[in-house]
Amino acid sequence: MVPMSDSRGQGKILIVDDEWESPIVVAVRRKLESEGWRTLAVEPEAPWLLADEFETEALYAIEEEQPDGVLLDVRFGEHKDDRFKGLGILRKITERYPKLPVLMFTQYAQGPDRETAVRGSLKWDAPVDFIDKLASPEEVVLRLRRLIGNTPQVISIGSLIKLDIGAKLVYVEVDDESTMVNEIQGMKFEILRELATTWYRSPGELVPFSKLERYSEGEDARASLRVRIREIKDSLGAVLDMRFGAGDFIINVRDQGYRLVPLKV
Amino acid sequence: MWNSDLLHSWARIIGGAVVLAGVISLVLAPLIGGSVFSSLWEIEPLSYIGAVLVIVGLAAIVLSYVGPRLLGLKAPEAEEESGGMEQWSQVTQQYFDLFHHDLGRPLRRILGRERESRAILQSSGVAIETPIKELLDEIEKQTPNFRLMMSNIQVLVQLEAPNTSVKLQALEPSEMVRRIVDRYFPIAAESQKEITWWSEPSEFGIVYSDGSAIEHIVANLVDNATRFTNTHIEIKLTKNPTHFFIRVWDDGPGIAPHYIQHIFDRGWTPEFTRGDEKSSSGLGLFIARSLARRYGGELTVESVTEPDPNHHTAFLLSLPSGEPE
Repeated sequence: MVPMSDSRGQGKILIVDDEWESPIVVAVRRKLESEGWRTLAVEPEAPWLLADEFETEALYAIEEEQPDGVLLDVRFGEHKDDRFKGLGILRKITERYPKLPVLMFTQYAQGPDRETAVRGSLKWDAPVDFIDKLASPEEVVLRLRRLIGNTPQVISIGSLIKLDIGAKLVYVEVDDESTMVNEIQGMKFEILRELATTWYRSPGELVPFSKLERYSEGEDARASLRVRIREIKDSLGAVLDMRFGAGDFIINVRDQGYRLVPLKV
Repeated sequence: MWNSDLLHSWARIIGGAVVLAGVISLVLAPLIGGSVFSSLWEIEPLSYIGAVLVIVGLAAIVLSYVGPRLLGLKAPEAEEESGGMEQWSQVTQQYFDLFHHDLGRPLRRILGRERESRAILQSSGVAIETPIKELLDEIEKQTPNFRLMMSNIQVLVQLEAPNTSVKLQALEPSEMVRRIVDRYFPIAAESQKEITWWSEPSEFGIVYSDGSAIEHIVANLVDNATRFTNTHIEIKLTKNPTHFFIRVWDDGPGIAPHYIQHIFDRGWTPEFTRGDEKSSSGLGLFIARSLARRYGGELTVESVTEPDPNHHTAFLLSLPSGEPE
């Protein structure tokens, strides 16, 4: 078991893949690490380790390391018996650790029938998902975020803005220094938190008015919301010495709701 | 329980034996019939018996072919044929899996090396030269094309396989759209394009359909939109009591009316000039519509072309919510 770097508090991902050193897996590990996850790989001492021994090592690693999620390859080796070995390991994991999220790394499109069959063999609420090994590291990270379901203490929105969810504080990074934005508190912080947590788990997803209007007051809740969003933009703009337009940072989408777009530096 | 295969064989054997006995009787009748039996209407009775046996035997043989169908049983040839086709389909699928894996292997290696090189160059702090950056970007850009093309071919094999049944399961369309956006968001962002999606109601709930098939349809629609949009793509999920709808809208230049009638044709590609390097196989929309119809739904398109300032293209997928009885 070789850790790549220290944890920054996001959690731990165990990688079970016979090609754990391949550049494509390393790229995913690198992305996870940059996002603050700690990654561990089941790394056999003997290079000729058989697929069955991988299974034993993986189950041992889960017991020892108690990861927050597992990234498991479907295919172990070229032998026809090992083509779907990962599904056997998955079955063992879900039997012993039914709540442990597992993202299956497939080396080709699974095809509707096979994926449906695997899903059908699991409990309906089993936290198991499938992703093509050719997926971008960004896609893998997004899928893992939702599968594991944790929201981090601090959400970085691009490189300039940080939200400390626990302390309910907003920081702006200017010249390598963090400046607290005092004006964004109370309802305004809650609006920004709602937008930031949705963006973190599902970029592109709109937050509907119905969800945001609970953080506004007065007879015209939508107008009040619009004012608060303008104030959030102005407060951030003042610290960053920028003027935020309608299409910057928080955008209104076709009278449906709002969406967060990180600032482009 | 009737075994149509057994019935068929025995009917042919017995029918054949009876016909043979009839023929022997007819052959022997002129030789021995007259001396053994008294004539009836000037013909010896053995001829009557022989003729009846031939008719009964032939009837048994004919019934062995027609009977099972009249009784609602499959003729053995049809069974063999369908079994053979099913086996053929499975073998094709297995070959395809291997083929896909083997084709994907070099791409995984290239992609891994490209990501490694990019990380090394970025960490070195040296500005990446334009041709090198373009090469790295091109490898990343072609990967989703490869993914979608391979999965299109795989779905096509399944669609054309005989006797494939429609399987419905509970699924959350909003989660399915999230997965597609996860996949295309970074690709769109590379070329400064935005994807926004929402559902009405925001807590959309569950429908009964085939998640993989719908994901495949929507992936094709979003893939197209990502290529042709100018600045942004919108995906909207709505429903009524019987159906749910996924609308994929883009602000691209639109599709001319004389092209729009062909976009669901197999093999049609949207590259309008012959000199263009084709970037799609022309299978995506054909498969998307075929899949939609297979699940009792429909896929339609409407488009407004430039120079109208409201130019756009919108695909609407409608599918039954399929609540089981």
